[in-house]
Amino acid sequence: MVQKDEFCVLILGLDNAGKTTYLESAKAKFKKNYKSMHPSKITTTVGLNIGKIDVGGIRLNFWDLGGQTELQSLWDKYYAESHAIIYIVDSSDRERIPDSKETFDKMIANENLQGIPLLVLANKQDIPDCMGVRDVKPIFNKNAHLIGKRDCMVMPISALTGDGINEGICWLVDCIKRHVYIRPPRNNDES
Amino acid sequence: MGGLLSYFRGLFGSREMRILILGLDGAGKTTILYRLQVGEVVTTIPTIGFNVEQVQYKNLKFQVWDLGGQTSIRPYWRCYYSNTDAIIYVVDSADKERIGISKDELFHMLREEELQDAILVVLANKQDMAGCMTVAEVHQALGLEALKNRTFQIFKTSATKGEGLDQAMDWLANALQNRK
Repeated sequence: MVQKDEFCVLILGLDNAGKTTYLESAKAKFKKNYKSMHPSKITTTVGLNIGKIDVGGIRLNFWDLGGQTELQSLWDKYYAESHAIIYIVDSSDRERIPDSKETFDKMIANENLQGIPLLVLANKQDIPDCMGVRDVKPIFNKNAHLIGKRDCMVMPISALTGDGINEGICWLVDCIKRHVYIRPPRNNDES
Repeated sequence: MGGLLSYFRGLFGSREMRILILGLDGAGKTTILYRLQVGEVVTTIPTIGFNVEQVQYKNLKFQVWDLGGQTSIRPYWRCYYSNTDAIIYVVDSADKERIGISKDELFHMLREEELQDAILVVLANKQDMAGCMTVAEVHQALGLEALKNRTFQIFKTSATKGEGLDQAMDWLANALQNRK
């Protein structure tokens, strides 16, 4: 049996950004016969949701963490083992965009995330009057010095309808493969 | 024949889920069990052995085992592990002194092969007590960031006041149904 190389992807963002809905949506797209949880049944995460998908010859292992302020202190425990970050933004919540941006900056300043690809997803594009990717992108690209040389991409999605999920994951898979020398796949040691 | 039977059971969603309530002594396990079953606070004494009850939550039937939490009887927890669908691990959020022991017991338990697929719910109980640990503090004290291959969720609860249990059971019911 040949085992696929396994890479860990951390899904972060403020609470109610749609992280768990995104995870469910990604699982529904990439796993055969996966019955995803109905979006109305998804509640606030305080803990961890996991998901594994096989794509592009590798296995992605998702960690979806709680986004509430008091839980953000737990994020950095996962940084050293992550191969990529998906940062989810609620594009319909203009009021909290500055907060989301500040949290993003704090996260990328962590040295354990040096060189790790960042995928920023402007979520909830299904909501009329939300901010488009053209509005969200400049905000998150503002601190170019913090992003540095790492791959960083901002894409529009709707976790609810599934639009944009594939594109994002394909981009991420390419980046992870390119970075395999910097951060090799994880060993399959069970904890 | 057995396969056919379980197929029909699955169809009607009436398979009884097996749930264990574990945690140190005095965490509030028995109070939680009876809160879930009769919706009331009962007077409890330290459990020696176990309490087992059938609990109906929405359309799901659970067989809930509440095992005694004292040091001398914790080694017997493992006798109940097989076929467990979910573990409700109860922590006394006000007991900072013993949270380290609680952590050790939790990780000891999760290493068991038989519990690899069990869903974990941690209840940070006794949130009504002044000066108790917050959810984030309980998460940190239990070292839950080490659990990277398992879906889990923490809820703050007060079993005596009946707070937080509904959210926990809602989540658990969804997680169990989603898993099938």
